[in-house]
Amino acid sequence: MSADVLRAEIGKGLRVQLAHPAGHVITLLISTMMYLGLQFVLGQGELRRDLLPQTLVAIGGYWFLQYAGLVMVADLIEEKRAGTFAQAQMTPAPPWLPMLGRLITAAVFGLAVAAVASLVPMLVAGIAIPPRWEALMPAALLGVNVLAFTFLLASLALVSPMIGALQSLFTSLILLLNGSFLPLSLYPDWLAVVARILPTTLGVEALTQTLFEERTLAEIWRGGTLPWLLLHTLALTVVSGLLFVRNHRRALQEPS
Amino acid sequence: MIEIEALTKVYGPGQAPAVDDVSLNIPAGTVFGFLGPNGAGKTTTIKMLAGLLTPTSGRARLGGFDVARERSAAMARFGAVLEGSRNVYWSLSAWQNLMYFGRLKGLRKRRTAERARILLTDLGLWERRDDKVGGFSRGMQQKVAIAVALIADPPIVLLDEPTLGLDVEATRTVKERITELARERNTTVLITTHQLDVAQELCDRVAVMRRGRLVADLPTRELLAGFRERDRYEIRVEGAVPPGFDGVTREGVTTIGVRVGDPAEVYDVVERLRAQGAVLESLTQVQPDLEDVFLALVNEDSHVG
Repeated sequence: MSADVLRAEIGKGLRVQLAHPAGHVITLLISTMMYLGLQFVLGQGELRRDLLPQTLVAIGGYWFLQYAGLVMVADLIEEKRAGTFAQAQMTPAPPWLPMLGRLITAAVFGLAVAAVASLVPMLVAGIAIPPRWEALMPAALLGVNVLAFTFLLASLALVSPMIGALQSLFTSLILLLNGSFLPLSLYPDWLAVVARILPTTLGVEALTQTLFEERTLAEIWRGGTLPWLLLHTLALTVVSGLLFVRNHRRALQEPS
Repeated sequence: MIEIEALTKVYGPGQAPAVDDVSLNIPAGTVFGFLGPNGAGKTTTIKMLAGLLTPTSGRARLGGFDVARERSAAMARFGAVLEGSRNVYWSLSAWQNLMYFGRLKGLRKRRTAERARILLTDLGLWERRDDKVGGFSRGMQQKVAIAVALIADPPIVLLDEPTLGLDVEATRTVKERITELARERNTTVLITTHQLDVAQELCDRVAVMRRGRLVADLPTRELLAGFRERDRYEIRVEGAVPPGFDGVTREGVTTIGVRVGDPAEVYDVVERLRAQGAVLESLTQVQPDLEDVFLALVNEDSHVG
């Protein structure tokens, strides 16, 4: 039954997202144009080809987070308001199972959008990202990092519909500080420390170190980026799981 | 069957209970009307039955399974349409909604498709099965919501305001469906409604809540009969309204409504009319309807059943 429920939840989630494809196409175009436009302005009238690959990886992480959040958090708030969330809760399946289905949908949809959105600047501006096996692990950790953060926000949304504002604040901060505009190496030290607290930043840093500085995993472990990324991701995963259990119980105690 | 035992819900310290020590026993195959004014605690009770709220104390059992302790088994045995919510995804088609909710209820894909086909055909939606629900009329959307509640063929159905906002045709379809469920499939149907004519027509048994407490729980006929002592009488006399009486004259016949505490008082009224020279055409005891009973129960400190 668990697999059936998961399949149903993922299928439903993707159908709901694809019900209005024009909206996503427009948002995608705006996102890619905004990225290229900002790089053009920051490059003082030209696209800095030395910085584009690194910032593209960072904004790819941001797009993943933004669209995964759309599925996981924004839709959950809307469904709670509309009533479909309550209807979907009346299932014999354990309550975490539909949430896991939502998370997988968020991962699939967010990843697909981030990939397409990243492909456009790559083609338009001729940005090349060298494939390296070493990048797989940081990329996977970046994905888990984003999804754990998204699950944390969704767990908060179970009891507070106002979480939408917090989500906007965090996604804006992440866009500003995760390296989407400028690589982290160009930040002042204190700002880089602040940026690393936010989701995606450490993942982007580890990923760029393996992709563009050709460092091995052992090297980025010794450099501290990988252990911090692991710790950050683990902490987010544990906190979001605990928060889900607590808030699911709270949501059953009182209406929100 | 539905069993509710001393169910209580208090939302916060110092607050009055939203549901206060409510006990009910609803046998299989019953259409049960759960009535009460706004804020009486009906929806809170429904949510506790549906496993969407945890009771502060007491317990609810659906088909013999405790909603809190045996949640999975209890959830498999009921379907619900909740009031004031969409219940279904507007951006999906009727078919997609049924397939999704059927799988969530634990049905296999083939069985879900089979049930979806039967329900959509029965509710007159088969031709529109692939259209997005958002484009449906209110009545059609409610039919899809009801189909979702019935997708797993549950022995218990909770319907919160199932006919609210529906036109005459859609209301009739829903009412027929509810009656059919109870009579032919032995389904226990719990409905809450403010449409008391609907409740009177459909329900075998009625419970009335006021300020979180049950003030009545009786078979509908018994409940109505219990209020017969407050009966009204309708006296029809020939000609115009006799002096000293209030009435409505239509086509040469005057109808006078009389409310009495003691049935013997009716004879006094008739005597007074005869003394005025009125020619009596008929004297009828007006039976109270559920609306009269409901208003009496929610406005007075009474308890029945």
